[in-house]
Amino acid sequence: MSLSHAEPGFAAPLALLDTRVRMETPEGIDLILRPAGLLSRSIAFGIDLMIRGVLLGALFFVLGTLGDFGTGLFMLALFLGTWGYMVLFEVLHQGRTPGKQIMGLRVIHDDGTPIGWSASVLRNLLRFVDMLPFGYCVGAFTCLQHPLFKRLGDLAAGTLVIYRDLPPQRPALAEVTAINPPLPLLLAEQRAVQAFAERHATLSPARAQELAAIVTQPLQLSTSPDPHYPVQQLNGIARSLAGSS
Amino acid sequence: MRLTDASVVIRPRTSWEAIDLGVLLAQRHRALLMTSWAIVTLPVFALLTLLLWDYPSVAVLVFWWLKPAYERLPLLILSQALFGSAPSLRQALKSLPSALTPQLIASLTWRRLSLSRSFYQPVQQLEGLDGLPRAQRIAVLGQKDPRAARLLTALGSTLEMTFWIGLMVLFYAMIPPQIEADWSWRSLLDIEGEWNWLEHLTNGFYALVLIVWGPVYVSCGFALYLNRRTALEAWDIELGFRNLRQRVLGSALALLLGGFFALTLLPSSVMAASASIQSMPEEIPSESGNSCPLPPLDNPQTDEDVAPPDSPRLLNQPLTSQASQNAIHAVLEQPPFKNPKPVSGWRIAQPKHDAQSAETPNWLARLVVGLLNTGKTLSAVFGALLWALLGITVAWVMWRYRAWFATFVGKSPPKATAPQDIPHQLFGLQVRAETLPTDVADAAERLWQQSPREALSLLYRALLSRLLTDYQLPLKSADTEGQILARIAELKQPPLDDFSHELTRHWQNLAYGHRLPPDQARQTLCSGWRKLFAQGAGA
Repeated sequence: MSLSHAEPGFAAPLALLDTRVRMETPEGIDLILRPAGLLSRSIAFGIDLMIRGVLLGALFFVLGTLGDFGTGLFMLALFLGTWGYMVLFEVLHQGRTPGKQIMGLRVIHDDGTPIGWSASVLRNLLRFVDMLPFGYCVGAFTCLQHPLFKRLGDLAAGTLVIYRDLPPQRPALAEVTAINPPLPLLLAEQRAVQAFAERHATLSPARAQELAAIVTQPLQLSTSPDPHYPVQQLNGIARSLAGSS
Repeated sequence: MRLTDASVVIRPRTSWEAIDLGVLLAQRHRALLMTSWAIVTLPVFALLTLLLWDYPSVAVLVFWWLKPAYERLPLLILSQALFGSAPSLRQALKSLPSALTPQLIASLTWRRLSLSRSFYQPVQQLEGLDGLPRAQRIAVLGQKDPRAARLLTALGSTLEMTFWIGLMVLFYAMIPPQIEADWSWRSLLDIEGEWNWLEHLTNGFYALVLIVWGPVYVSCGFALYLNRRTALEAWDIELGFRNLRQRVLGSALALLLGGFFALTLLPSSVMAASASIQSMPEEIPSESGNSCPLPPLDNPQTDEDVAPPDSPRLLNQPLTSQASQNAIHAVLEQPPFKNPKPVSGWRIAQPKHDAQSAETPNWLARLVVGLLNTGKTLSAVFGALLWALLGITVAWVMWRYRAWFATFVGKSPPKATAPQDIPHQLFGLQVRAETLPTDVADAAERLWQQSPREALSLLYRALLSRLLTDYQLPLKSADTEGQILARIAELKQPPLDDFSHELTRHWQNLAYGHRLPPDQARQTLCSGWRKLFAQGAGA
């Protein structure tokens, strides 16, 4: 579907709310980013915390056998784990710690560029402000109040946590004969027809027929006694829009 | 409910994104939601506190148990704000009783502990379903990803506890230490009921936390519900189809009007075209035989009076062309067309000390006694290495930034650097202090008997040496006696000036003119020298 201002006709007095933001690059290319909110981020943080806890716990027992030397090594590991885990993963792994990877998140700069060392170090150092006065209170509060779901560290470092875009799969379309649309369709309309063809199987048949009835007249679909006939014709149009293969 | 009036972008989202949308929705109506929540809950809290003054824990438990009742009003506000304009505070509060009564008992008893409370709340409150229809509806809605709603509730209660404890910690952190000591002393002698007010105050923090989080929780559940219905009923496709219809039929009407005018002007040519179009508008309302309740169609008949593009149009509906023009201008005032400048602030981070016990389990240590010894050695070696590394680093840093440090450590005494700049010879005369006798005047007096030339030379060299070291005159070997006199004059010390003139005159007479100085010159010069440099002579 298209973004807010692409929809013609009715415009609400306020801008339509959406969880997507549009970043325009200097080249005039629109990047669509989907900032991630508190829930998915805190789950990702919980996963990261668990991974670190398990690893460091195991390390503690292994290194415990080495006596003082082991304790020293463990202290070093603890330091690295506390300070380096997030930063190293974020910078060297395309903004994804294991928890973020699992939750489908990544960290980027505000302008959509990959996160660098200084921003990552800054946003992770400021975790200790976000933790005040207890258990990420400040961070959670700012995250809930900010329109892009930023905590203080993100505000300071100019970073953004977004949902990663997965490579799109080619959807399966019904095997019907392609029908050329009777009039040129706008991009948003083509997408609506495509979405209908992809998803009408998940709808109840009555609802699918009802949707098809909306466009029977403008798309000059032929009416017939079979109420399912317009749905098939829409599938045909979607087929021709999608192209062969 | 008209989909085209929705104040959010309707598209199928992932559950996480739907929850984020709920947060955004709550943000937009933040003031209204929080105020109405506070107006509803705080009196209840006050009443409970008064009634259960002796049982603070029971009071907060009852307050917590009543949460589903408070959540009715935010949902009502949000549902109205979503498809239309948000009600005012007065309107919202007026509609509270009607929203509160249906199924209140069920919400507060057997449905109270449901983890998907906020997700299913719209079913009973907005759709008004109960009993079997509600169960069926919930079964349909909950088919896909019911986990998100449960996680939302779980995280919500965690967040409430976190905020609550955070507020308490903040409160105790703000108490001055004297009062705190006083309090802990008093709490040892806790008299029955004396400290109830403190517990009720802490309960009040929970009420405050709920003002922030309660509406967000309702809004997130509502967004999840909307998202599920968007996917189930393909709202986004319906919206796209309606827009398509609006566009195509709108232009067909324009064509029809154009055809009509053309027909009146050129009756012969366009008959067939207009005839084919004319059949269209009459069919428009024909597809209203829907099988299930639907948002009513936008009535295209209202758009019929098509006029020149910039004249006011669409006057019979809430959104006129003028309003849409205003909306366009409003959009043009926002990014990316007008970019406000972001300002980000710095705050000082407070380091956190990771307390880590250094104990190692004994049974493991006993298993590897051999390793233990090597471990100790290794730890010593590594400790030494690390300390050495630290020392080297510090030394390197100091050496690397020595110039930078020097600017702050204070000027090193210039005397240390002066000897390098002082010339050792001035026009063939040794002027270094070491080459001179300790008591110059005495030596000169003794020398005067045998060779006045050496005595005068000694005095003159000593004078130059003193000028270089004591007075810091920047003399060069290229300077003439006259230039040296000029520099001495700049010091503005008349005794030194007179003495130097006298000495220079005698020295020049002797050195270049081979004229011996008069005898009384010996006395004058030596006593003059003693007068000027007597204090420093012994040094």
